[in-house]
Amino acid sequence: MSTPLVSMEGVDKHFGTFVAVKNINLTIDEGEFIAIMGTSGCGKTTTLRMLAGLEQPTAGTIRIAGKLMNDVRPHQRDTPMVWQSLALFPFLNARENVEFGLKMRNQPADIRRKKAMEWLDRLGVVEFAERNIETLSGGQKQRVALARSLVTEPQLLLLDEPLSALDAHLVIRMQSVLTKLQRELGITFVYVTHSQSEAFAMADRVIIMSNGEIAQTGLPRDIYREPANRFVAEFVGRNNIITGEVAGVSGKKIEISSPIGRFKLNADATVPAVGDTVTFVIAADLVEVTRAKPKADNVVDCSLISEEFIGSMVTLFLETADGTEFKVQLQERELATLDHNSGSLFYLSWKAESAHLLPAETNK
Amino acid sequence: MAQVGHIDDGSLSPRRLDPYALTWRLPIIAWQVLFFVGPLLFMVAMSFFLVKNYVMQETFVFDNWAKMFSRNYFRDSYVYTLFLATLSTFVVSVLAFPASFALAFKVSDSTWRWALFLLIIPFFTSYLVRIFSWYVILAESGVINAMLSIIGLGPYTMLNTMFGTIVGYMTLTLPLVVVLQTFSLANIDRNLVQAAHNLGCSPWRTVYTVIVPLAKTGLIVAALFCFILSFGDFVSPYYLGGSKPPTLPILIIDTTKSGQQWPRAAVVAVVMMATLITIAFAAITLAYRKRTSR
Repeated sequence: MSTPLVSMEGVDKHFGTFVAVKNINLTIDEGEFIAIMGTSGCGKTTTLRMLAGLEQPTAGTIRIAGKLMNDVRPHQRDTPMVWQSLALFPFLNARENVEFGLKMRNQPADIRRKKAMEWLDRLGVVEFAERNIETLSGGQKQRVALARSLVTEPQLLLLDEPLSALDAHLVIRMQSVLTKLQRELGITFVYVTHSQSEAFAMADRVIIMSNGEIAQTGLPRDIYREPANRFVAEFVGRNNIITGEVAGVSGKKIEISSPIGRFKLNADATVPAVGDTVTFVIAADLVEVTRAKPKADNVVDCSLISEEFIGSMVTLFLETADGTEFKVQLQERELATLDHNSGSLFYLSWKAESAHLLPAETNK
Repeated sequence: MAQVGHIDDGSLSPRRLDPYALTWRLPIIAWQVLFFVGPLLFMVAMSFFLVKNYVMQETFVFDNWAKMFSRNYFRDSYVYTLFLATLSTFVVSVLAFPASFALAFKVSDSTWRWALFLLIIPFFTSYLVRIFSWYVILAESGVINAMLSIIGLGPYTMLNTMFGTIVGYMTLTLPLVVVLQTFSLANIDRNLVQAAHNLGCSPWRTVYTVIVPLAKTGLIVAALFCFILSFGDFVSPYYLGGSKPPTLPILIIDTTKSGQQWPRAAVVAVVMMATLITIAFAAITLAYRKRTSR
């Protein structure tokens, strides 16, 4: 695997004066499951559409399997896409939809039929082969759309928020269908989504986009625990973000003074100098809540504002005296051990190694 | 409704007689009965009347039907009219499609608005006036032949030919067909077109494998309009086609003029109505036919 399957270098895309995507540099290896995540309008779908050739980059190069793709028309590529709207042809039945790609490659009818039936079978919808598309349920249509994209056995499958129209329980089912398929086939999946749970649950590597640029690329765990900048820290999960001034440095250990107290943490790469303004984050699930003031380094006293209960997990929203917000995530059974009837004052604390220092250049 | 799990709140049921809605609909129903259904029934009845000494007698005899169906000129005229209308439908649909396609897919919204305006403008002038203006263009010493003579061609006879008739039909139907086709093409989900490209379908192939099937209903309805207007048109075949041979509308005029044969003209009219109803019904069935599940 010397050359990556996909490589994008300095790719820009403008629509008139609107810059949809700027300076995308990205390589995707064969067999990877990549999720591109971001809010709507961040450029994730445009990036995917450029891989399919449905948009031409304004600048930069896109290579697939080493071949320059900038001027290759969509129909000359083998980059099938699963659409958010599914885009199944209403005038064809399920089997004919699946056969479509093979028909365009001028495969004989008997082979087309055989392959289409195999894929419908593999996705568990073979009994609906001769059915009208409109008569299928959302989940069944989804599977037909997947079969249609996979029947030509592409190297690269593009998925544009394919699960966003499904019910929550179906999403979980389809996630496991997708990951299983991807592992068995060894096909590279590029999956665009706004849903963090989908991205983190399925992808080997996650790309976070913001305002047309890549904000961070990394393993789901790394993105969750070690956000590269404030945007990612705020976008991903529940992070507490604190800005302060470096008060002391000894080796990798640094001490930060902020309006809400002095905190200790470990720098991992570059160590800031005394007097620098820095920002660090502590994930909401790494914060301890106690009623009594703990004998620890990083302690903040807060009052409870509200709580959000989602089954086994509870998120507490707290505020310090100066109005800095904190979020704490804990198990519902842990919450039960806290004395609820003695006012709203709580102490929050965390270990120095739980805090993650954001790199200097992004501390705006 | 005894169906389990099926909620019927009646809001979608068209069977309920709502006095309020009926009151508002009554004028149009009355109008239709009085001026459309009534005359139509009278026409059917009249086809069984007899004319004696130029006076119509209210009888119930099949003489007119027997006469008309035994005449070769009626059969020939019927076949010719059917042929002309079919040819016109085909030619107009095929000529209109590239224009409609361009308007629906290739031009900006403001261009389309201008085009729509320009397509409506022809209807500002009477159809008869537009047909007479073709005289100037198509005549032996008209514009086209004058131009052709410069490069040493012609003159060609274009008036009083089938070509002239078709040109007339096109004047009547082409703008309408372009508008109807464009609306149906513009409603196509662009994702489906892109999905076809994405699955390896070339832009050309997409036109007939995806776009035409998706716009089928609108394309057929546009063609149906063209057929109906051409089939029933009197002006073009008379003034540009020279009524040789006469089409059915010309035959109706001729029949009424010769010996006050209104009943025989009614036979022609009833046959025309029956033909159009059959064709319209077939076309609409075809337009809305869904694939049947097996």
